[in-house]
Amino acid sequence: MAKKRANGGQKPNPVKSTKSSSATRGFYILIVVIAIVGIAGLSYLAAKPQGAASQWDSSLPSLNAMGHVEGSDSAQLEVIEFADFECPICGQFATLTEPDIRTHLIDSGVVRIRYMDFPLSMHRNTWNAHRAAWCAGDQGKFWPMHDGIYRYQDSWNSEATSNPDKVLAGIAQGIGLDMAQYTSCVDTKKYQAQLQANELEANRRHVDATPTFVFGTKVVANYLTYDQFKAEVMQAIARQKDAAKK
Amino acid sequence: MTKRMVLAVLALCGVLLAAYLALHDIGIIGTLACGSGSCEQVQSSKWAVFLGIRVAIWGVAYYAVLFTVAMAAAHERFSDDHRLSVALVALTGWGVMYSAWLIYLELFRIHAICRWCMGSASIVALLFIIAVFDYRAQARTVISD
Repeated sequence: MAKKRANGGQKPNPVKSTKSSSATRGFYILIVVIAIVGIAGLSYLAAKPQGAASQWDSSLPSLNAMGHVEGSDSAQLEVIEFADFECPICGQFATLTEPDIRTHLIDSGVVRIRYMDFPLSMHRNTWNAHRAAWCAGDQGKFWPMHDGIYRYQDSWNSEATSNPDKVLAGIAQGIGLDMAQYTSCVDTKKYQAQLQANELEANRRHVDATPTFVFGTKVVANYLTYDQFKAEVMQAIARQKDAAKK
Repeated sequence: MTKRMVLAVLALCGVLLAAYLALHDIGIIGTLACGSGSCEQVQSSKWAVFLGIRVAIWGVAYYAVLFTVAMAAAHERFSDDHRLSVALVALTGWGVMYSAWLIYLELFRIHAICRWCMGSASIVALLFIIAVFDYRAQARTVISD
């Protein structure tokens, strides 16, 4: 059965019809305007440089005695990384970018990395992981533990468990640590003071996100791919050379 | 402006908001770092992926479908089509339920609230209310006919 029009089949009112077509036109204009403004806004944001870059405060004492270092003492540049073991983006950097950095930049003596602990309060299990890494460092295995902690982040983070120490002990066992020494170190929170000192140092230098990298005098708080990391390294080395010439 | 036109406008705003979140999620917009905001924490959690696809990408697809249906419904030719009202209520109802689930996760599992996600949830709630009003108006028209 054919459906009747709401006006009972009468001829359309020309005034009403004009108003309706004007409203329809206005509607389509509004849609086009919103789409154009929205796409322009997104394009502008996408074109803006990523990551908050700022200057490193060189007047503060150096971090030479802090954190853990990987690479040669005679490397051309030291890159400082402030990181949190439970931060998924730090994990992404450690598992995706860092192997290439080791092969191409650390092993060849171009850079060394200083890992500074910056456990964020939003991550409930991160302190356990930082303590575990320091206790592995006690046995000279900070970096293998660092890699294991990031690789198995999904197994011990606060979304996965409320008992991270058990999973972390499994990682420690996997890298061949003396478990009696490791357990004693973790249980007594042997390196808690050093960890807190690292955290305070990060706060003093206004680090507020992880990973944050320091390339000479430039601070970059953002995930970096290998190519981006290498570009920052080369620019920092060039800046160092320019400064030395002056 | 009819209710269906308002639905289309809001759905388009949803497409743009979800596109912003998706671009942020894949690192094209903003900073990819922990601690720089709650959205980063939410988007880096394990719940940011649904059926192997990032939730932000699902959001773009969802709002795009909703926008297409709302645009069709706003067209004069389909102004009396009751089925489109049913489709709009069903789509926006699903959106409200999924947003409620995401808010629960943010509050009780991830312990972080992403304001852009809350913006999306507000748009979906508004869309659902308007879709229900449109459905009721359509139902009245069919009965009176």
